[in-house]
Amino acid sequence: MLVPLRNQGVAMSVETQRSIATMRMPGGLGGLLPALILIGLFFVVPVLALLLRSVTDPAPGLQNYAALLGDGTYARVFFNTFLVAAVVTIVTILVAFPVAWMLAIMPPALASIVFGIIILSMWTNLLTRTYAWMVLLQRTGVINRALMATGVIDQPLPLINNLTGVTIGMVYIMLPFMILPLVGTLRAIDPMTLRAAALCGASPFQAFRRILLPLSLPGVAAGGLMVFVMSLGYFVTPALLGGTANMMLAEMIAQMIQSLLNWGLGSAAAFILLVVTMALYALQLRLVGARRATGGV
Amino acid sequence: MTQPFLSIRKLRKAFGAFTAVHDVTLDIPRGEFLTFLGPSGSGKSTTLYAIAGFQDPSSGDVLLEGKSLLAVPPHKRNIGMVFQRYTLFPHLSVAENVAFPLRVRRRPEAEVKRKVADMLGLVRLESFAERLPGALSGGQQQRVALARALAYDPPILLMDEPLSALDKKLREEIQAEIRRIHRETGVTILYVTHDQEEALHLSDRIALFRDGRIEQTGTGEDLYLRPATDFVAGFIGNSNFLAAEHLETVGGAATIRLGDGSLVSGISANGSFERGQKTRLMIRPEAFRLERGPTSAELAVEIVDVAFYGERRRIVARTAAGQEIDIRPTSAAMASQDAAPRHRQVFFDPGAAFLFPA
Repeated sequence: MLVPLRNQGVAMSVETQRSIATMRMPGGLGGLLPALILIGLFFVVPVLALLLRSVTDPAPGLQNYAALLGDGTYARVFFNTFLVAAVVTIVTILVAFPVAWMLAIMPPALASIVFGIIILSMWTNLLTRTYAWMVLLQRTGVINRALMATGVIDQPLPLINNLTGVTIGMVYIMLPFMILPLVGTLRAIDPMTLRAAALCGASPFQAFRRILLPLSLPGVAAGGLMVFVMSLGYFVTPALLGGTANMMLAEMIAQMIQSLLNWGLGSAAAFILLVVTMALYALQLRLVGARRATGGV
Repeated sequence: MTQPFLSIRKLRKAFGAFTAVHDVTLDIPRGEFLTFLGPSGSGKSTTLYAIAGFQDPSSGDVLLEGKSLLAVPPHKRNIGMVFQRYTLFPHLSVAENVAFPLRVRRRPEAEVKRKVADMLGLVRLESFAERLPGALSGGQQQRVALARALAYDPPILLMDEPLSALDKKLREEIQAEIRRIHRETGVTILYVTHDQEEALHLSDRIALFRDGRIEQTGTGEDLYLRPATDFVAGFIGNSNFLAAEHLETVGGAATIRLGDGSLVSGISANGSFERGQKTRLMIRPEAFRLERGPTSAELAVEIVDVAFYGERRRIVARTAAGQEIDIRPTSAAMASQDAAPRHRQVFFDPGAAFLFPA
């Protein structure tokens, strides 16, 4: 669960790492060998095999990619994947920001308890948590029953097997990955800066928009990209809480391989997902790097 | 009675069982430079924060031109403030920091430009307009903070220990800057510090805080030359306190008996004392003379140490009663006394000595 923080650290210190790497290159390559073998064996080789399969199965050629990119059904799955990832990212940011702000200004003892609760939820089994949402969200679930009992609604709300269900379930899963980097950024902001803004005449909203928001943007960007990338490839939650109408890419890949036994098409889809993810990660590195180069916050 | 410009009325602030400020009442005329001086935890910052609106007082009121400020949220009080740390907006350039209060007030662009140029001129940072705050020194950052706080012509400028994060040389430089800006703008300044020298240099008046109460309000001279209490005498400048027994007071002039049995008359008495009451006699180190004057009282001492401090010498001496005292004659006065005997008389004007309860 420390993935976002670690990732951010790598992104921040990329320059340093590069210089250290070049410094040690002549004599230090031998020490890196076990790690290189490990990465090669378990990451590079399977990815290459995947790529190979996508252009050879069932026959050599790019027909798998042509099918994926040319077919309207597959295009809809791609679109839907990006839509869900984008909606989840935006909602996660909106929910995480106030929580992170609260954590940042809370007394440290209390904050560490709340952190504990958040991390505990991350340690709970993913399936358990997703099934719990099914119990809450289904037509005869806790939420619909409570709303109907209190007379707020007459008919059960469609909360599951659609975009709403996927969004609720995935935002819940993604929140810690947004909150953790954001708290770090917000804690680095001097609260007196906001008092100064108030005395300068800024209303609470102006202080938020002109001071707090721009200062927290690096954290929002880091967490947001992390959540977006993770959402793109998510399988369990969309499969359980989503409907057939908004299938996501990971579900489609599973279906191609498990039900249709079409390894070539599945590999091609997986490879496209990998390329998009890596492009986004490169974008993140670039953005963070640019920020540091201009001496920004 | 004319209405005071800024008026603090019976201000009280309690945090649970701890009362940080007790019934502080103070009137501040327009254009005054008033300093809240006191040790840390004396309630001076709490009082300032109540005026800024960051702390709701438990009771009492703050009136600006007769109107209460308490119901006004901080961002509508139109008060300028400079903080201990610089609190500049790190993502905005110097010019945009100064422009910030004008932008949130939606002033026209031309006015913003002109005002920012004026303010940067006032603090002499014109050439730094496009820099980010992180690229400035501490002193420069604090000058930007000053420009930002003055950009919207606030009637009151609050300053909360603005120089405490700076080194000594910069402190003196910015003190001069603050005095000049006060002179040029005529803004009313409330300044918080625990540094008595800073308070003496800068202020028109000083309110000396102790344990949430104002011990004495007056000019620096008042506090130094006519301290109302032994706390004031001890906090401002250096003081010697000698144990003394009060005998009688006639018309504000007290007669006392010192520890060595000698009698001294004509002492300035602060308050009334009983015959035989234990008291403390306060004498400033520089009020001691080595030569007898026309109205001098005298004190027998043993010289323990003499050190040269440039314009003055510092003599550590011990009275017959065994108390150590600090004497600071000018170096010139001491010159002929280089071969000072270890036991000798020192002299002081009883009118420059003050009697306080023990």
